[in-house]
Amino acid sequence: MKPLDPRLVRRSGAARRFLLAGGALALVQAAAMLAFAGALATLVAGLIDGMRMPQAAPLLTMLIVAASARAIAAWLWELVGSSGAMRVKAQLRAELLTALERRPAGVPGFPTARVAMLLGPGLDALDGYFGTYLPQLVLTAVATPILITATWIADPLSGLVLVIVLPLIPVFMALIGMATGAVQRRQWESLAALSRGFLEVVGGLSTLIVYGRAERQTKRIRAVTDEYRARTMKVLRITFLSGFTLEFAASLSVALVAVSIGLRLVAGDLTLAAGLFVLVLAPEVFLPLRNVGAAFHASAEGVTASADAFEMLDATEESGEQPASGATSDAASDRDRQAGSAGAGGLELVDVRVRRGERVVVDGVHLEARAGRVVAVTGESGVGKSTLFAAILGFVDAEGEIRLDGRPLGGDRSGIAWAGQSPTLFAGSIAENVRLGDESAPPDLLWRALRLAGVDVDPERSLGPGGAGLSGGQAQRVATARAIHRLLARDGRLLLLDEPSSALDAEREAELGRSLREVAGEGRAVVVATHRRALVEVADTVVDLAVAHA
Amino acid sequence: MPESTRAVLRSAIPSLRRLLPSVIFGIASAGSSVALLAASAWLIARAAEQPPVLYLSLGIVGVRAFALGRAVFRYLERLTGHDASFRQLAVIRAGVFERMIPVAPDGLASSRRGDLLDRFVGDVDELQNVPLRVVQPIVSAVVVLTLAVAAVSLLAPASAAALLTCLVLGIGATLLVQRWAATRAERTLAPLRGELQAATVEHVQALDVLVAYDAAAAGRRRIEAIGSRLARATRSRAAAAGAASAAMTAVGGFAVAASLASAIPLLESGRIDGPTFAVLCLVPLAIAEAAAAIPLASSAWRLARSSAERVAHAVPAEVPAELPTSPPDPASPPAANLPPAIALRDLTAAWPASGQGRDGSTVGRPVAGADPRPPALAGLDLDLAPGERVLVRGESGAGKTTLAHVLVRFLDYRGSYRIDGIEASELEPAAVRRLIGLVEQRPWLFDEDVRQNLLFARDAATDDELLEVLDRVGLGEWVAERGGLDAKVGERGALVSGGQAQRISLARAMLARFPVLVLDEPTANVDPARADALLRDLTDAAARDGATVVLISHTPVDEAVVDRVVTLDAGRDVSRGPLPIAEPVR
Repeated sequence: MKPLDPRLVRRSGAARRFLLAGGALALVQAAAMLAFAGALATLVAGLIDGMRMPQAAPLLTMLIVAASARAIAAWLWELVGSSGAMRVKAQLRAELLTALERRPAGVPGFPTARVAMLLGPGLDALDGYFGTYLPQLVLTAVATPILITATWIADPLSGLVLVIVLPLIPVFMALIGMATGAVQRRQWESLAALSRGFLEVVGGLSTLIVYGRAERQTKRIRAVTDEYRARTMKVLRITFLSGFTLEFAASLSVALVAVSIGLRLVAGDLTLAAGLFVLVLAPEVFLPLRNVGAAFHASAEGVTASADAFEMLDATEESGEQPASGATSDAASDRDRQAGSAGAGGLELVDVRVRRGERVVVDGVHLEARAGRVVAVTGESGVGKSTLFAAILGFVDAEGEIRLDGRPLGGDRSGIAWAGQSPTLFAGSIAENVRLGDESAPPDLLWRALRLAGVDVDPERSLGPGGAGLSGGQAQRVATARAIHRLLARDGRLLLLDEPSSALDAEREAELGRSLREVAGEGRAVVVATHRRALVEVADTVVDLAVAHA
Repeated sequence: MPESTRAVLRSAIPSLRRLLPSVIFGIASAGSSVALLAASAWLIARAAEQPPVLYLSLGIVGVRAFALGRAVFRYLERLTGHDASFRQLAVIRAGVFERMIPVAPDGLASSRRGDLLDRFVGDVDELQNVPLRVVQPIVSAVVVLTLAVAAVSLLAPASAAALLTCLVLGIGATLLVQRWAATRAERTLAPLRGELQAATVEHVQALDVLVAYDAAAAGRRRIEAIGSRLARATRSRAAAAGAASAAMTAVGGFAVAASLASAIPLLESGRIDGPTFAVLCLVPLAIAEAAAAIPLASSAWRLARSSAERVAHAVPAEVPAELPTSPPDPASPPAANLPPAIALRDLTAAWPASGQGRDGSTVGRPVAGADPRPPALAGLDLDLAPGERVLVRGESGAGKTTLAHVLVRFLDYRGSYRIDGIEASELEPAAVRRLIGLVEQRPWLFDEDVRQNLLFARDAATDDELLEVLDRVGLGEWVAERGGLDAKVGERGALVSGGQAQRISLARAMLARFPVLVLDEPTANVDPARADALLRDLTDAAARDGATVVLISHTPVDEAVVDRVVTLDAGRDVSRGPLPIAEPVR
């Protein structure tokens, strides 16, 4: 695993600024540490040697100033880390949201739940990454060499000890990691399953009660948790070894340095001030590296989060070329235009094919919906009705030709109004929901759309998040009204409705059928995916996708 | 802190015997750390006086021993501490679970909705941090600090006093700032974070609609606006949190200066020698490092405490009045081989205030605290003849699910509910549940194979019996395609569709051979185009054993599959009145 994703630095200006500010703060911190150790060593050695208060006072002041400077630098670190995290998160969030709009029907490999997870708690992992891990990493990179150099100047032998021991730490940790990595991974996998044991029992509690199995679960919880403990401890015994290595190397070098300084002081090869200076500095050399080790978890989460984000950005870009309606030769376009001018407006699909990975979801569909006509698309659930609509909308890539009024659509949605299978309403009034995207349309359009869709609820009634507060049928009718409103407001050519009557009773379904005829009668094409007989009956043409596939 | 939270927290603390090893190792490790610096300072200052090397050997041995001790004891502290806290986790989980059983499922605030469930389980598991990150570090740090300050006071009381003052002021200031920042975070950050997450989820889930209506950019700007409000709040909290960590950083330096300044007169008057003076000057650094554990433990304490509060809130300590309890002298239940006759008279039932809606929402449910709450069932009369198939329909909030939960005794009732003439409240709730089974709206599938998900309904069933019952619910082909009974259903049934989950769950209920079976909204999470077929299959399969079937459904049902239709409205049977439009509900 890389400690820092180079893509993050390359792509995010906020991340670059954070690293620069952090580097500067690390310099301040290193300088404060040196000043503190220098003042302390000089003071102690001098006072033992008989220094008087007047000489000691400026050093004492320096001690306090250095301690304060270090504290203030630590405070600034916190600020820089947090605003760095905020900026990078905002930048990534904006990029991800924009990228998602290119693939409204979903990014392959990124189901909605994963996207929501990534945009929320996923990006929040960057807080720990920028707040805890990166500062220590920068501090290690900037301050450690300075402190070692200062030690070297004060006492080359101690400097040598540090230079030898310090690189051993990552080497040992890597060795431990390599030796145990495979075992650890296997262990963690079985641990994840064990740790879900309790969640399963709690989640399935009512089911367990129905079958009279709840009481006996207590013993099982104890057993599973105890096995979880035993296995985790096996893993931890090894995991903690790397912590032990760090601690051990740090305290051993302090001991080595102290003993060697002591012996050379006895011999008179070194001054007390230099010796104390090195002694105070030695643990500080190891501190940032120890903290990097401690913040390892935060780093793993942060790196995963940013890698996920970039993976998704790449995924949207890979398939992000304009989902076109396939190759249409110039000659064909001319023919189309002539056809269009001849009044044969409407939707025309020629041999449309949609692949999802290896699978062909929509296979060679031909469909013609002239202006003024209602076309019903039928077929078993899963036969690709919704995918066909997504292809017309340009939400998924499709092969073949998709033309509206003779022109290849090429993802142009301006003349299309669509209502999907689930109503997908928003918090706000019903009127606001219906006028989505066309807020400035004249109010009589609103009333007409509501009437055509059969909405009999007060349009000023406000809905909760996700449109809560309406029954399924009402929500479905509001969603249909929204599509009709867009169609009217933009004088669109094509109305696409996906299962608009699945939650309606027969009477309302018949009303909807009459409305669709009225809309079509004004010279628009209406395509409705349905499995209900009543809607099939009002259609001029019925396209059975299952047959179309065969 | 309410008593219930305190009880939860108490359950998280292991016995002294379990806790002691990690505390002792913690003291040894932090103590070694202080002693290492003291010994090193003494060694160097003493060496500068150029005595014979022999005089230094004790110091040299001490430095090496403490260096080794610090690392080894720390490793042991972590191992024993984690072991103790994991051992306690078994106790915590079992204890919470035992508290849950009498109030489950309808008295529990944590519903099945994934995020709430995850949070509840996370909260229970968070409690193991009480011994590991709170009790043990605080005890170890306080002991080491006391010993260290006491040792310093033997050498120079003035230094000890200065050191103590710095520590108390520094830790006190840190804790105060921390507390202020945490309160602020709870008040402003958490709601903003929730708002941002909700807006993001809504945006992502509705993205196809937003794009199709050219409204995505507006939605994105709204999210960005919430994001920058959150960023501002976070920055001001980071300023406070930074101040706390800065205070702890400064404590070490100031303590050194204070201890040093206090010891100067002693040195000048010759009451202490040079090496002792060096120890007094340097040792505060190590002491401050040990003290840093206290603010960390205090943050951990805050997290654990709010987890304990949520656990205590989610699992009420007392059984609410709306839930059934075992009768003191239970009657003997009717035989389970034939469907009993069921008679409900003037039946009233309500949900407890502590519970949440069946899907985590409160739609159709009385709002907690708004007393008097309207009962969800108000004076219902209903007869179920043996072997009858009855469809119960009605608007959201009409009391359909309440009826199902009363029938299986998840909820208590007033009025009369007789099973073959025996009042249900005189029977053990578990005995009622052997007669009347429920297929829930969201059946829970365990993350095992199909076989395990069926077997717990009847341990002794053979594979042939399992396959036969799967065939009857229309899953015969499916299970063959998936490679038989060993097919995994995935975490929370992730590998099966909503309809398949319902069918598996019905197969399970049929294996248990309930004489009466209640199907609660079996098509709630099923593709509308498949709902009709599913309902027909479920009702047919369930009724084939001659069992009584109560089908609760919001989608229009082909009435040929049932014998009778009951329409509920506001907790009453209105079938005989004017029929309201059978409005499908979400």
